[in-house]
Amino acid sequence: MSRSKKDASLDLAPSKKEKMSVGQVILFICLLIFTVFCFAPVLLVFVSAFTDEVYIAQHGFSFFPEKWSLAGMNAVLKYGKQLFTSYAVTIFVTVFGTLLGLLIMSMYAYAMSRKDFRLSKFLAIFLLIPMLFNGGQLSGYIVFTSLYHLKDSLLLLILPLCVSTMNVIILRTYIVNSIPAELMEAAKIDGAGEYRTFFQITLPLLKPSLAAVGFMMATAYWNDWQNALLYIDTNSKKPLQLLLVNIQKSIQFLLNNNNVPASARAAMGGAIPQNSATMATVIVVIGPIMVAYPFFQKYFIKGLTVGSVKG
Amino acid sequence: MKDFLSNTWKHRAHVVLALPVFLVLFFIMYVPMTGLVLAFKNFDVTKGIYGSPWAGIDNFKFLIASKATFINITRNTLIYYVIFTAVGTFLNVALAVAIDQCIFKKMTKAMQTLMIIPVFISYAAVQFIVYAFISSDTGLINNALGTNTRFYMNASLWPAILTITKIWKDTGYGSVLYMSVLAGIDTELYEAAEIDGANRWKKIWHITLPSLIPMITVMLLLSVGNVMRSDTGLFYQVTRDSGVLYSTTQVIDSYVLHAIFKNSNFGFTAATSFFQSVVGLLLMLFANWLVKKIEPENALF
Repeated sequence: MSRSKKDASLDLAPSKKEKMSVGQVILFICLLIFTVFCFAPVLLVFVSAFTDEVYIAQHGFSFFPEKWSLAGMNAVLKYGKQLFTSYAVTIFVTVFGTLLGLLIMSMYAYAMSRKDFRLSKFLAIFLLIPMLFNGGQLSGYIVFTSLYHLKDSLLLLILPLCVSTMNVIILRTYIVNSIPAELMEAAKIDGAGEYRTFFQITLPLLKPSLAAVGFMMATAYWNDWQNALLYIDTNSKKPLQLLLVNIQKSIQFLLNNNNVPASARAAMGGAIPQNSATMATVIVVIGPIMVAYPFFQKYFIKGLTVGSVKG
Repeated sequence: MKDFLSNTWKHRAHVVLALPVFLVLFFIMYVPMTGLVLAFKNFDVTKGIYGSPWAGIDNFKFLIASKATFINITRNTLIYYVIFTAVGTFLNVALAVAIDQCIFKKMTKAMQTLMIIPVFISYAAVQFIVYAFISSDTGLINNALGTNTRFYMNASLWPAILTITKIWKDTGYGSVLYMSVLAGIDTELYEAAEIDGANRWKKIWHITLPSLIPMITVMLLLSVGNVMRSDTGLFYQVTRDSGVLYSTTQVIDSYVLHAIFKNSNFGFTAATSFFQSVVGLLLMLFANWLVKKIEPENALF
């Protein structure tokens, strides 16, 4: 049997055949440049958040500021209640939406994959049509607000991102290709009902696929600004992304908030650390995903690959 | 029919399992499809979608009357699709091949992790990063070059700015798919080529690239179905929905979003949305038909 390329790439040292050469060094430098291109802007956010505001105003944004300051971070931390509320809203929507979506999508995928179930063909077509044709933003907005009267409801942050055709296809492909049908039949012979078979046999075996789909869903929920901007008005329901979208307003509102102690406002000299506070807010918003991402990297790379192969 | 009913009854548990997604799709995706009739109605908030009076094709007359806007947003949508797809595909493939060829595996793995990060940053946050680079008095670019270019006032610079932003955000992630194909190539092929005296470039040209072609074809064809839809965040957030820049930055999706907030030009917007959905459907059917001809097992249906 031939050794596949994948195994070879696990050997971290250069293989004996492929010696260092000028070409390899040039290639490596090109990759390094592209990495810097991708990562430098992210780094700039972190540096700017801790740069002195006056320094930014005079010298502009810089990777190597001469004057550091915690004022931006302090401003964000003194947002107080609104920041806390927005975090809670975003976390709730992300966790609840992702779990709900994973549960109901795997239920649908499971039903669709039953072989002698006549309706499964209809289920597949019903799932596919929204991918081909949809009403667009305007119809959605009018239907959700003037027909369902859901304006300013958290449901509109959760439901629109909850089910996606592609994700159901990924889950179904995994059930068909990677979970032996004999296993589910055996469970039935042992007397497990349909629900029990699904929840105790299929769902636990779906885990790798659920991790991949779940991480992508969680990111989509976390990063969703559009539905929030369209539908959410009340401060107590505003997610983090909306704070970012309305940052100018947010910083002023938050600093004039009663939660900010007078001493803190005096310490800032009355001036709002606009640029550094903005960047500090960006950190607060993107931080959790940056932290979670390395742990999920191997899963979503796998999930992406599975999804590309239609079963 | 009786067969069908008894089959469904036998599988009633599966019907129950499928029900929640069925309901979500029905209320979130299917009902809004009926909202497209608004293109033929004179929408009145108090009467709702279905109660509003019919307007015939009046809304489409609006569309023709303000055809400068319509042509501009449609043209921008198409042009950006072509630029992003061409540049994006080329860079995704180039990056995948480069990472695959590089012998410093441990380092490339770490670099890849860093390259993927931007895809996880929302456009609401990206706009501040872009601002840090191009703002006229505090921006890095103006400072580095000692210039005072007012990027946010100069529409002709934006195709480049948006393309670079898009490359920055999506290339690292986009290459992952192609890398998984490369990982599946049998090493024997390379060894055989080596024995036949092929050098590195020849191996890339005759083995690596041809093995990517099916995936490239499928990805390109499937993207044809989404020609009329754009990355709204890129065009709405990063440009700060600035009117000065509309001539080169406004696309259909960002136009509709703007119209919803400003509550303006309702008839025009409804007609444009209708046009967008119908053309989208036709393109999707066309793309699927093409995939079926070329790579039947990758067709959607």
